[in-house]
Amino acid sequence: MAMESEWVQAEAIEATEFQELAARHYVSGVPNTTINDGAGRVIGSVPEGKLVKELQRVLAG
Amino acid sequence: MADLLNDQIKGQVREAFAEMKAPVHVLFFGEEENCTYCDDTQQLLEEVVSLSNQLEMSVYDLNANADLAARFNVDKTPGMVLAGKDGDDLIDYGVRYAGIPSGHEFSSLINDLLRVSSGDSGLDTKTRAYLKDLKEPVLLQVFVTPT
Repeated sequence: MAMESEWVQAEAIEATEFQELAARHYVSGVPNTTINDGAGRVIGSVPEGKLVKELQRVLAG
Repeated sequence: MADLLNDQIKGQVREAFAEMKAPVHVLFFGEEENCTYCDDTQQLLEEVVSLSNQLEMSVYDLNANADLAARFNVDKTPGMVLAGKDGDDLIDYGVRYAGIPSGHEFSSLINDLLRVSSGDSGLDTKTRAYLKDLKEPVLLQVFVTPT
């Protein structure tokens, strides 16, 4: 998604190395995707449509 | 230090990289202190980069090269940015990793290198159209583990 928009940044974070950050986002299983520092979240490996939906919800709010 | 990748993996990755038609520049950011996996990550990336002549890599220090880190939004170590290239200029797609990309993440890294090289995200047309119209910043942070 980051490739398709200059507004989007994507960061893959190794949760065991950055436990504090993972804990702050209540990450208990992986993959776990947070949008804009916790404004949105998608748990598990989901189809891209589901991530887009959550993104739309966050940006509409 | 012995290689982190064995010959079998190297062969598979080299084969996958054979389709690369455009260069990718990997920016690696390490740190002297408090970085358990910096050395391993740097070595792993150096081994990966050596498997294709389309790949190049530069090594930076998060503190000594703070301006560059800020420009590429890197704030963790080991941190890496997968950038495309337009002539001598880097194209920042906003694709980066924090932490060692081993285990399952290793295949993600290889796939991302291929995507950045091709410039093709592989997403649905609908998703692309939506993203094209975005006008505000979005930060996606995908938490992963090596297993």
